[in-house]
Amino acid sequence: MIFKLANPNRFIRFSDRISPYLSYLFILLMSYGLFLCFFKSPPDYLQGETVRIMYIHVPCAWFSLMFYSSIAICSFFSLIFKHTLADIISRALAPLGASLTLATLITGSIWGKPTWGTWWVWDARLTSELVLLFLYIGIIILSNSFENKTKGDKYAAILSLVGIINLPIIKWSVDWWNTLHQPASISKFSSPSIDPSMLTPLIVMTFALLFFSLQVTFIRIKSEILQRKIDIIRSTELS
Amino acid sequence: MMNIFFKLLKREIKLSIDRISIITSYSSFFLMSLLIFTFGIGPDIGKLNELYSPIVWLIMLFSIILISENFLMHDYRDGSLRELQYLGYSEELIIFSKAIVMFLILIIPHFFLIPLCSILLNLNLTELISLSINVILGSPSLILISIISNLLTIQVRQSKVLQFVIIMPFYIPLIIFTTSRNPNETSDIIDLNKFLILIGFFLITLPIVLLSGKMILKEVNK
Repeated sequence: MIFKLANPNRFIRFSDRISPYLSYLFILLMSYGLFLCFFKSPPDYLQGETVRIMYIHVPCAWFSLMFYSSIAICSFFSLIFKHTLADIISRALAPLGASLTLATLITGSIWGKPTWGTWWVWDARLTSELVLLFLYIGIIILSNSFENKTKGDKYAAILSLVGIINLPIIKWSVDWWNTLHQPASISKFSSPSIDPSMLTPLIVMTFALLFFSLQVTFIRIKSEILQRKIDIIRSTELS
Repeated sequence: MMNIFFKLLKREIKLSIDRISIITSYSSFFLMSLLIFTFGIGPDIGKLNELYSPIVWLIMLFSIILISENFLMHDYRDGSLRELQYLGYSEELIIFSKAIVMFLILIIPHFFLIPLCSILLNLNLTELISLSINVILGSPSLILISIISNLLTIQVRQSKVLQFVIIMPFYIPLIIFTTSRNPNETSDIIDLNKFLILIGFFLITLPIVLLSGKMILKEVNK
């Protein structure tokens, strides 16, 4: 399936077919998620109404890490199998990942002011998320610094693979160091310590953001493929 | 294998002797930055003594990034980097020999810079020894990371800012561990754990840099 879609034209056809459904799912889930967040989910006994920021903050933080992992996987495929589509996907995902990381930091700051009494602390989780933002920025700048896009993509792929060392540090920073940031409430290996009335809107919002991100990624990949086709036509016309 | 490596090392050392002015530029930059930090923080010797470790490390970090260009850019511009590859020298050995020479060249100025720092920042003997060992163990990782940033931006014009942007995230863990102070640590005790962490950093950085450096060099000379 994945290798079938690795053909750019086939990918465009696939994304054209799937895009409307992604939009519908996003609108549906986002509306339902916002309804749950604002009207159904109770305020926290300690944090009060500010807990609602979590429904945006947590999915953004998850996806900021997930997109970096996806970029690293694509980079691996690009360097080993020399596949152009892997480079295009990385190029499409990087700005989205950076935006989500920025959103995580901003929403975290807004939540931090009433909860911790400060907009920012040099806590392990916050600092490592900031480092992730710098990694994203580095990848975006590096891939756009070359006239030859393929070369920029290759260098960015190497940089993103080296940068993957940072991911476990971010993920387990709250467990390794005694930080202000609370440890993970939802874990794969144990039952979640979060109440179901809060867990449901969080999951709904996560899927809403997932479909939104997929939609944006598909649009970006499609435009990048078309841009490359235009570049090829232009260069053949010039020569 | 070892013969080839020593041949490369000899070549790098010869080239570096020709560029011995690097040591002067490095030392001047180091001292000027130290002066600027002192003016910025204020002449309070107690405060400066408390902050000596971050000051020295930040200056070292910036100066190594700025100086590292001399070791790679010249070879790239005059085509000898490409030539070495065509002659069959492995990319790992090219990078490793460059890293060793860079370390040897840049460690020389520290023999007088660190004692000078200890006078200017009021360090006692234990702090001086601790800082010296810190520099010797931490700078190889700094150098290796700077080589990667140089290789990544070797074909980019105006690459200095880009170098800083792409490489800073990788320096952060190193800076955290080199400048951190154990709350129970007094100025008379040397923290051995910190040195072990720095050796660990080096052992992690070395294979990553050699492997990614090889990939970049192959891409550069395509």
